[in-house]
Amino acid sequence: MIHVRNLHHSFSIGKKGKEKQVPVLKGISFDIAAGEIVSIVGRSGSGKSTLLHIMAGFLKPDSGDIRVADVTTSAFSEVESAKFRLDHYGFVFQNFQLMPGLTAFENVELPLVLKGIGKKERQQKVQGIMDNVGLKDVQDHYPNELSGGQQQRVSIARALITDPPVIFADEPTGSLDSETEQDVLLLIQSLNKSRGITFVIITHDDEVAHTADRIYRMHDGELVEGGVTRAI
Amino acid sequence: MQFKDQVDFIRRHIKKNKLRVFMTVLAATMGTAFLIVLASVGFGLHETLRDEVQSNRIITEIQVHASDESKEPSEQVGAFKEMAHVKAVVNRQRINAIQHSRLGEYTGSHEIVVTDFTEEARVGFALKEGRLPEKANEVVVGSDFGASMYLEMENENDEFVTYDGDLIGQQFIYQIGDYQTGNVFDEEIPFTIVGVGEYPAKDWQQDRSIYADRAMLVKMEEIYDAHIEEKQEDFKFIYNNVTVYADKVENVSTLANELKEEGYWVYSIADELKQMDVFFLALKAGLIFVGTIAILIASIGIFNTMTMAVTERTREIGVMKAIGANPKLIQRLFLMESAWIGIVGTLLAVAISYAVSTVANYLLPIIVAAALGEEDLGGMNVTFSVIPWQLVLIASAISIGVAMISGWRPARKATKIDVINALRQEL
Ligand SMILES: Nc1ncnc2c1ncn2[C@@H]1O[C@H](COP(=O)(O)OP(=O)(O)OP(=O)(O)O)[C@@H](O)[C@H]1O
Ligand SMILES: [Mg+2]
Repeated sequence: MIHVRNLHHSFSIGKKGKEKQVPVLKGISFDIAAGEIVSIVGRSGSGKSTLLHIMAGFLKPDSGDIRVADVTTSAFSEVESAKFRLDHYGFVFQNFQLMPGLTAFENVELPLVLKGIGKKERQQKVQGIMDNVGLKDVQDHYPNELSGGQQQRVSIARALITDPPVIFADEPTGSLDSETEQDVLLLIQSLNKSRGITFVIITHDDEVAHTADRIYRMHDGELVEGGVTRAI
Repeated sequence: MQFKDQVDFIRRHIKKNKLRVFMTVLAATMGTAFLIVLASVGFGLHETLRDEVQSNRIITEIQVHASDESKEPSEQVGAFKEMAHVKAVVNRQRINAIQHSRLGEYTGSHEIVVTDFTEEARVGFALKEGRLPEKANEVVVGSDFGASMYLEMENENDEFVTYDGDLIGQQFIYQIGDYQTGNVFDEEIPFTIVGVGEYPAKDWQQDRSIYADRAMLVKMEEIYDAHIEEKQEDFKFIYNNVTVYADKVENVSTLANELKEEGYWVYSIADELKQMDVFFLALKAGLIFVGTIAILIASIGIFNTMTMAVTERTREIGVMKAIGANPKLIQRLFLMESAWIGIVGTLLAVAISYAVSTVANYLLPIIVAAALGEEDLGGMNVTFSVIPWQLVLIASAISIGVAMISGWRPARKATKIDVINALRQEL
C-alpha cells in the first residue's frame, strides 16, 4: 500500500555561512502492506521521526519517492498534502497534541469539522467512536481533566474518526506507564483487526515493537527489516 | 470547514480572550467614532450654511451688476428679457433721499422700492394678504411696516406705541427729503395699501419697505430736483438692482456665464453654493484624514492582538495543519477574526457617533447661547453635527479595511507555521 523508494534527507545545521549538511536518511526503501501493523525501531536520533514526517508530508525529502496506492504523495504541494492527510491519514503523537480549548468530544470531532461535515452526522459518528474506545464517561472533559491514557485514547479516536486507511503513531506510548501502555497497544491491535486500518508505529521500545506484524530497524540512516514477530 | 463552524471557531477564541479582544474593539470603536464625529461637524456646518444661503434667496436668481466693460444693466432690462432661459427680469430701484411716511397719527421712516409688478408676479411676489398694485398710487408694504410706525411720544419715558390696526385699504402720506440739509419737502404723495408682503424667511430679518410702481419714480425725482439746485458730483438719486431669474435651476449657471461674457458682474446662489461646496469638500476630506489617523493608531492594537493570538496558538495551528487543515483556511480564520474586531468596532462607533451627534446638536446651541448671554441663537437654525449615510459608509470602509490590513500579516504568519516545530512546542 505504501511504497517508499530511495529516500534521502539531510539537515543543514550551524550558523549561517558555516552550515554543515548532516545526512539523516541515506536511501531508504521499504513497503507497507494494507492492514499491517508496522513498527519502526531504532536508537534516539536515528531519524525515525524524520522518516514519519516525510511520509506524512510535513517535510519534503531531498530526493526519493513515496507512493500511496497509485498516488505519488512526495510530489504534492502543501495544500494537496494537507488535503490528502485529512482524507487518508490519522495521527497519534507521543504528547497527544489535543486542543486545550476543546473537550474530549470536540477534539475527536475536529477532523470532521475540517472536512466540512454537518453537525448531526458529526455527533453521531463521534458518539459511536467514543463508546468504542471507552471514553463515554469523560467525553465532556477538557484535556487537562483527563489522565495520560485517556488523552491518548482521545487522540486515537481523533485519528480514527475519518476512517483513514493509515494511522501514523510516533511513540504513542512514550508518555504512558506500562499498564496504560498495554491498554493502548491492545486498542490499536483490536482496531487493526476490526477495521483493517494500517498502523505505522514508531518506537524505541522493543516490547511495543513486538506487537507489530513487521518490524523495521533504523540504523545509521538506513532501514533493515527485522522479521515478522507478531506475538499472540 | 463549513462557514457556520468557522464562525463558531472564531467565537470560541474571542470568548477565551475576552478582555484582550474587548480592549482592541474599544480602541477601534474610539478611533472610528472619533472620525465620524469629527467629520460630522464638517457636514453639519455645510448643511447649516447651505440652508442659510438657500432660504435667503431664490435659487434661480442672478444678480447683475455693472462693470467697467459692461453696459448699465438697468438699461438692458429689455435685452435681458429676450435672452434664452430667462423667466423674468426685475429691476428694484431705491432712492437716495430721506423718506417719511405718516399714517394718521403714526409716523415712520420706510424705504421705497420701485419695481415692475408684472415681472415680480412672474417669479412670485409672496403676499401675506391683499393683492399686487394695479394703479400708480397703490402699494404693497413689507410685513414689518406697521410695527415700524410709531405714535409720537409725549414724554421721554413713554413706551413705544406701534400701529397694529388693519393695513389693507389704508391711505398714508409719503414724503422725501434731502440728506444733506435734513429738510423734508412739503410735497405729499398719498399711497393706498393694497397688499402686505410675506414675512422674510428668517425671524431676525425685517421687511419695512414700501413696494411701489415704477411710475412713481419720475414724480419723486421731479420733487427732488425742484428743491435742489446743485447736486453734488457723483450724486445718484436712483440705485438700480437688476435681478435676472432663470426658468430652471439647471439653467442658472449657463445664464450666469452668458451674462459674465457680456462683461457683467453676476452673482448667483449657484456660484455661491459651488464655492461653498468646494470649500467644504476640502474641509471634510481634511477632517476624515485626521480621523483616519486615529483609526491607524487603533490598528496597531489590532496588529498586536492578532500577532499575539497567532503566537499563542502556534501549537494548535500546527496540530490543525498536521490533521489536514488547509493553510488558506487558517489564514481565513485569522482574517475573519480581525475583520470581526473591525466590524464590531465600527457598529459600536456608528451607534455612539449618532448619540454624540444628537446630544451635541441639542446641547451646543444652549451652551453657545449662554456663553453669548442670549436666550437663543436669534432664530439661527444651527446644526453642529450631521452624519449622512455616506459618512457612515466611508468610515466603515476605512475602519474595516484598516482592521483587515492589520490582521493580514499575522494571518500570513499563521499559515507559515511549520508543523514539526509547532508540534515540538511544550504544552
Ligand atoms: N530541524 C532539524 N534541523 C537539524 N537537524 C535535525 C532537525 N530535526 C532532526 N534533526 C536531526 O536529525 C536526526 C534525526 O532526528 P529524529 O527526530 O528523526 O530522530 P528520532 O529517531 O525520532 O529520535 P527519537 O527517538 O529521540 O525521537 C537527529 O540527529 C536530529 O538532531
Ligand atoms: Mg522521534
